[in-house]
Amino acid sequence: MERLTLLELNQTIKATLDANLMPTYWVVAEIGELRTHQSGHCYLELVEKSNDKVIAKSRATIWSYTYRNLSVWFEGMTGQSLKKGLKILCNASVQYHELYGFSLNIKDIDANYTLGERARRRQEVINQLQSEGIFDLNKELRLPEVAQNIAVISSPSAAGYGDFIEQLEKNPKGYDFNIQLCKATMQGDNAAESIINSLLTIHNQGPKFDLVVIIRGGGSQIDLDCFDNYELAAHIAQFPFPVLTGIGHERDETIADLVAHTRLKTPTAVAEFLIGGLLAFEDRLDLGFSRLYHLTKGVVKNQEQSLLIKEQNLKAILTGTIHSEENRINSYGKDLKSLVQQRFINEKYKIEIKEKALKLLDPENAFRRGYTLTTLGGKPIKQENPEIGDQIVTHAARLRLTSSITDIEKKND
Amino acid sequence: MTKKKQTYKDSIEELESIIKKIENGDVDIDELSSLIKRSAQLIKACKAKLRDTEAELDQFLNDQDD
Repeated sequence: MERLTLLELNQTIKATLDANLMPTYWVVAEIGELRTHQSGHCYLELVEKSNDKVIAKSRATIWSYTYRNLSVWFEGMTGQSLKKGLKILCNASVQYHELYGFSLNIKDIDANYTLGERARRRQEVINQLQSEGIFDLNKELRLPEVAQNIAVISSPSAAGYGDFIEQLEKNPKGYDFNIQLCKATMQGDNAAESIINSLLTIHNQGPKFDLVVIIRGGGSQIDLDCFDNYELAAHIAQFPFPVLTGIGHERDETIADLVAHTRLKTPTAVAEFLIGGLLAFEDRLDLGFSRLYHLTKGVVKNQEQSLLIKEQNLKAILTGTIHSEENRINSYGKDLKSLVQQRFINEKYKIEIKEKALKLLDPENAFRRGYTLTTLGGKPIKQENPEIGDQIVTHAARLRLTSSITDIEKKND
Repeated sequence: MTKKKQTYKDSIEELESIIKKIENGDVDIDELSSLIKRSAQLIKACKAKLRDTEAELDQFLNDQDD
C-alpha cells in the first residue's frame, strides 16, 4: 500500500485542481460574510441557499489591490457597498493551498448582475405588497388640512435633519410646527428594524401626530437597501397616519418611497411641502373670508337700500297723513268759524225782528199817527169800569189832556 | 284728581262733536262762547301734536342718514 504524507496529498490535490480547472469561473453566490483586514484585503464567505438553508459554502478573498478599485466601482454602479446578503456574480479562480486549504480568489464582480438581482428582488417585494393589498394603503389616507404635529424619524446628527428643521423654522409666515424627533439608525443592517421600532413608538403615542416624516440625507448615496426592505415597506404602507419620505437620493425610488403617502426628494423638500400645505390652507381661508366679506357687504347694502326706500315711503306717508290731518283741523276751524258766524247772523236777525215788533207796539208810534190813549187812574180804560164824572187822561203825541166823562155808551160786540 | 291725558284721537272726536252740536243748532249762545274757546284749544293741541310728530320724523330720519 502506497503511503502519502498529508503535504504530498495536498500537493496532489493542488496539482489535480490546477491541471483540471479552468483559470477562472463566473460564479453566482451570496455574500455570507465579509470583512476587510487592516492590510486592505477583503475576506468573504460565499454561500448558496435553498429555502434559506445553506447548501454550499466557500471562503473567498479579494486582494487589496483589486478590492480598492473594485469596491469603489461597485458602489458607484449599484449605489451600495459589497456586504453581507448581497447576491453577486464574480469572476474567481480556484485556489488551493497546502497549508490554508481551499478558497476562491475573486478578480472581478459583474455589477449589472447585482443590479438586476436587486431589481428582481425589489419587484418581488412590490408584488408581495400588492398581492397582500397593502401597497396603496398609506396613499389612500387623507393628508390633514393643517399638518403641524409632526413625528420625524431621522438620525439627529444627519445634515438632512438640520436642513429640515431650519427650513421649517424660517417659514415666511411664522407657522408653528410641533416636531417630535424619533431617533433611528438610517443606514446599515439594522436600519430597517430601527425605523420600524420608531414607527411603533409613534403609533403607541396615539393620535397626537398629523403625519410622520422619514428623512435622511447629507450622508452617502449608498446603503439605501434598508428602504427596499419588505418589513419596513409593509409597516409604512399600513401606518395609520400619512408617511412622507425625504430620503435624499438620486437613484430610483426605494420601495419605502413607493408605499409612502408622498415621496419627496430631500428633507428640505419635505419641509417645503409641509409649509406649502399651510400656505394653501391660509390662502383658502383668506379667499373664503374675502367671499364672505363681499357677500355680507352686498347683503347689507341691499338691505340698506330697501330700508332707505321704506324710510322714504314712511316719510311720504307720514308727511301726507300730517298734511291731511292739518287740512282736516283747518277745515274744522273754518267750519266752526262759519257756523258761529251764521249763528250770530241768525241771532242778530231774531233780535232785529223782535226789535221791529217792539217798535210796532210802542204807543208813541200810534200817537204820531194820530191815535190817543186814554187812562183812568193810570190804567187803560179797557180794564176799568168808568163812571160819569170820572176824570180821564188822554195821551196824544204832544199833549196830555184831562177831561171828565159826560156820557157812557156801551158797545155791543 | 288728575285728568287722563287727552290723545289726538280724543281731541279730534271732541272737535267733531262740538261741530255737530253747533250744526244742529242746539247750543245756547252762552254755551257757544265756551265751546268756541274749547275748540280753539283743541285745534291748537292737535296742530302742536302734528308739528311734534313731523319734527320727530325729520329728526329720526336725519339721524339714520348719519
